[in-house]
Amino acid sequence: MVRFQAACTVLLAGALALGGCKFVKTEDEQKQAAAGAFNPDKLVADIWDAKVVPYLEQRAGPFREVSALAANDLDAAAARYGHKEKQGNAPWTFAAKIDGVIVAEETKSRAAYVDVDVDGDRQADVRVSIGPAIRGTALRDSLDFVIFNDFKNQIEWAQYGKSFNTHVNGALLEKLPREGLTGRTIKATGAYPLPAKGQLPQFVPATIAVGG
Amino acid sequence: MNITRRLITVGFAAVMAAGVAMPSFAADLIAIITPSHDNPFFKAEAVGAEAKAKELGYETLVLVHDDDANKQSQLIDTAIGRGAKAIILDNAGSEASIAAVQKAKDAGVPSFLIDREINATGVAVSQIVSNNYQGAQLGAEEFVRLMGEKGNYVELLGREADLNAGIRSKGYHDVIDEYPDMKMVAQQSANWSQTEGYSKMETILQANPDIQGVIAGNDTMAMGAIAALQAAGRKDVIVIGFDGSNDVRDSIKADGIKATVMQPAYAQAQLAVTQAHEYITTGKAPAEEKQLMDCVLITADNAGKLETFALAE
Repeated sequence: MVRFQAACTVLLAGALALGGCKFVKTEDEQKQAAAGAFNPDKLVADIWDAKVVPYLEQRAGPFREVSALAANDLDAAAARYGHKEKQGNAPWTFAAKIDGVIVAEETKSRAAYVDVDVDGDRQADVRVSIGPAIRGTALRDSLDFVIFNDFKNQIEWAQYGKSFNTHVNGALLEKLPREGLTGRTIKATGAYPLPAKGQLPQFVPATIAVGG
Repeated sequence: MNITRRLITVGFAAVMAAGVAMPSFAADLIAIITPSHDNPFFKAEAVGAEAKAKELGYETLVLVHDDDANKQSQLIDTAIGRGAKAIILDNAGSEASIAAVQKAKDAGVPSFLIDREINATGVAVSQIVSNNYQGAQLGAEEFVRLMGEKGNYVELLGREADLNAGIRSKGYHDVIDEYPDMKMVAQQSANWSQTEGYSKMETILQANPDIQGVIAGNDTMAMGAIAALQAAGRKDVIVIGFDGSNDVRDSIKADGIKATVMQPAYAQAQLAVTQAHEYITTGKAPAEEKQLMDCVLITADNAGKLETFALAE
């Protein structure tokens, strides 16, 4: 009896749906879906100004404080500035603000970077990526409102991560000067994954300004 | 409906059990199904899962599907028939395996996937996924760095039917193609095989003597390639692998292969069994179904700490 009712409902629904529907060629629809289904560059562009930058601005602490806390009390630093996927084995990624002086530059590599001193001892404390090639996915991994389980598979998740790098590159990094950076001041807000012992944190900026 | 199904399952299990003379006091069973153990990576998964299952008091049923979806389907039937309480599975195809995992679920046997993911959620209880894409990016970044961001190189692909062959290749090119002075002069499949890696490398080298690097989709092909290069007196060519096998570790230490990427095969298999045990005993599933396991770059700096797909602290 239940089944019969269900069948009737399905038939009725089918009839109603047919009455009000617009006919689209299935093949075209599939093509459109395939082309329009996943566009990571657009997904990132759509949330960049509205969500990404405000989140990082609000979440980030001064780099000196974040790195000192992470060294002394990782749990506290994670709770305050960090993010990672709930499960799996990814490291914590921290949101931080850099305010310092460039003490070294590598601009011959396409994975260009500047080393920045934030505490005035003229020693590099953090390495800031300036593109065009950016390693890793620190920006994606710092955000608490994007999670792997919302994506179809690791390929789309990776492409999404890369789109953050592509976006920051096009919006900011391409416009930076490539010469005479050493000695100039730098301010940036962004993210870095917890570095391995003895290695410089690899920071990816979401905002950046190089001064005189 | 459910009761009927259970009765059928139990009946079937009883018949099977009688057939193989299972002792009636046997502990709960966990089935561990992976690709062929010829590849030490899959062997490490099976060994890791089995060790953890025994530690938690389970009997184990270790099976291999040889990357054949039909065989996998039969093995799932066997696991259901034997009354397994859970299935630990490194699956034989992201699409083809969905039906097999669903079949186990319908029979009341939960599946815990390791290494490879399937293109569906809500079918397995958990999917502990090797982050092949992230690993490939790590390997490619090291490759580009060692090559000085320029030069001619060769890519050896895994078996084309295998999703991971494509994922790794995509991850490699995602990084390498950002460097316009890196030129791929040959790209061929060596089917994950060491002997094919050797013969393909020999042929490629004859046609393209001017190469500076080889990036391989896995360690066994990298081992084949380095052997062919060394036989031809080409010790200058940079070779990169993927998996983190002990063979490649030893080659790195001997200044042969330059780097590989370690997937935590042993640890993720153990994690899957732990989650299965939790699910069997408390009914609790992990908070997120899909869990990414990142890979680690292995170079001369840390090769000494690598043993059977695990890195010592």
